[in-house]
Amino acid sequence: MSATDLVDISDPGGEPAPTADAPAKIAGRTPMQLALRRLRKDKLAIISAVFIVLLILVAIFAPVITAVIGHGPNVQFPNTGLDAFGTPVGPGKHFLFGTDELGRDVLSRVIYGARVSLAIGIGATLISLIIGMVVGIFAGFYGGPVDTFLSRFMDLLLSFPFLLLAIALVARFGPSFQLVLYLLAFFGWPAIGRLVRGQVLALKEREFVEAARSLGSNNLRIMFVDILPNLLPLAVVYSTLLVPINIVAEATLSFLGLGVQLPTASWGGMISESQNGSLYQVAWWLLVFPSIALFLVTLAFNLLGDGLRDALDPRSGRSQLGK
Amino acid sequence: MSTVTAPAGPTVHPAGDNLLEITDLVKHFPIKSGSLLGRTVGQVRAVDGVTLSVRRGRTLGLVGESGCGKSTLARVVTALQPATSGSIKLNGTELTTLRSGQMRGLRRQVQMVFQDPYGSLNPRRRVGSILGEPYAIHDGPKGKDRQQAVQQLLERVGLSSDHYNRFPTEFSGGQRQRLGIARALALRPELVVCDEPVSALDVSIQAQVLNLLEDLQDEFGLTYLFIAHDLSVVRHVSDEVAVMYLGKIVERGPVESLYSRPRHPYTNALLSAVPDPSAAAQRGTSTRIVLTGDVPSPAAPPSGCRFHTRCPKAQDLCSQEEPLLRPTPEDPEHVFACHYPVAAGEPLSIGTWSESAQAAVPRRAPSPARTSITKNREGSA
Repeated sequence: MSATDLVDISDPGGEPAPTADAPAKIAGRTPMQLALRRLRKDKLAIISAVFIVLLILVAIFAPVITAVIGHGPNVQFPNTGLDAFGTPVGPGKHFLFGTDELGRDVLSRVIYGARVSLAIGIGATLISLIIGMVVGIFAGFYGGPVDTFLSRFMDLLLSFPFLLLAIALVARFGPSFQLVLYLLAFFGWPAIGRLVRGQVLALKEREFVEAARSLGSNNLRIMFVDILPNLLPLAVVYSTLLVPINIVAEATLSFLGLGVQLPTASWGGMISESQNGSLYQVAWWLLVFPSIALFLVTLAFNLLGDGLRDALDPRSGRSQLGK
Repeated sequence: MSTVTAPAGPTVHPAGDNLLEITDLVKHFPIKSGSLLGRTVGQVRAVDGVTLSVRRGRTLGLVGESGCGKSTLARVVTALQPATSGSIKLNGTELTTLRSGQMRGLRRQVQMVFQDPYGSLNPRRRVGSILGEPYAIHDGPKGKDRQQAVQQLLERVGLSSDHYNRFPTEFSGGQRQRLGIARALALRPELVVCDEPVSALDVSIQAQVLNLLEDLQDEFGLTYLFIAHDLSVVRHVSDEVAVMYLGKIVERGPVESLYSRPRHPYTNALLSAVPDPSAAAQRGTSTRIVLTGDVPSPAAPPSGCRFHTRCPKAQDLCSQEEPLLRPTPEDPEHVFACHYPVAAGEPLSIGTWSESAQAAVPRRAPSPARTSITKNREGSA
């Protein structure tokens, strides 16, 4: 080493000692803790999250709740549920949300409808997420012909007329819960895949990827140990926004008679039934309650997704406009 | 101090002396046309025939402007980029022809400290996971043993073992660079390539990190290839310095010799640009050589000597014939590639050139003004 020092070396002992003595005072926060702190300030997002958690609990414990109410979702009450003319009774002490044309409790059916909506909304999103992440990571990481092939395939799927294909498949296989689930998952993943691909394109140029390679990491390890954790915030946000899209799509299919079949309660199916013979003109509750449920759950997921996006990436989106 | 394998190489040390030997290393990046077929329309000659060697336990400083190929050289040596041609030998083992299976062993021996302490640590992983990664990849200690090894590393680089569960975002730039150094040391490598390890840090922190690097070199017998554009930093850490310009080494020699008697006009210009707080500089008697123009494109380097487009001493010969590395008369280990080298003590600045100054002979009788400049330069040594 050179004996001369051009660099001023005033403190050879190292940086001001890492705060080993008083770590509690200047407590470091993890990125997740910071995000949660920001999220907590977003009242709409918190209310939405609480609503969603409650709704999931209601869906899980639907049999218990309906047992307490005393009205199963598919049980007909010809004596109390229908009036003397055989038309549904409106909301009242006995039936909080009224009854439908068969004398079934609308409240119980809305509760059971939440099961279908959430199971398909969340289930299809999770499947989309896994496929989209894996394909997106491979496309973005390898680039070149792999990327070209996978990206064109995603473009192809995105350009498919979803409803037409749904009708064709239902005509071939018959409507079912599973078909709707796989159909939505299949059409949901390319959007995630493209998003993830773009992120990976940027992430793979970061120096920590090079550092991992210089340590001897192979490609798979770099993709799933180094890059994947950096994609999770994006995945969380986008999934939260994809859930309501899937819920609405399920309701649409059920409304058209292509989704979950009667007598299983689903919100789309209930709205469809309320239109039979323009029944909703006399029994507005048949249309209003499932519609409100659909509206609220969609809104809640969207608000939560926006809140999460702001919290996880403070530099983008609404938070700047809101100030 | 190093082996010169150029045709005029005067000294050849026994191979065992050198940990790293780079011979005629070339790295070209193809320039693809935008069309679908991606036809190659040219080459960026990032590294174009570099011969270097680093002695075991020593430090070779590599300096040059941005875009001269320093970092590319580092990435080829650490096998992050494949070499186009040439040879890299570590302990006598040829690296450029290693297959991926054998590469794992190499990774243990050659490690890298990166320039950007913010980008080189994964923001989503905890310190324990980042520093444990080398052990995870190379079947090192597991579980509690790994945690202990990582915590020892942390303490060795001046951090606390309490930092095990933190995220990189919770550290300052200097502390992060310590983490980067700790990661590079985890596998007990022989050669550590430092790619501008302190250029992203505050000056006050730079000295601490440089001292840490020196301490670790003594403790573990490390060999450094130290890349920087800051000449004072390079002088501080290096035993030997190589100056790079547009993918080629233009001058190389022991640090004292090169800093006190630079022969290549480019080295001279670089040295004159180092801010010098000495009294002579304040009186305004030191000469600063300001190079004009940009570095030419490495896709179309100038003919002959690559520096001739910006060189104050350039002659016709310079654009026609490429100068080879040759030793200085005073020190055979100090080599330079120039047709019209700067004479010892000769001030080199634009506008002060006369026809006679272009002779390659050292000046016998420097004028008083020149003497003061020389003193100034040596005063900072």
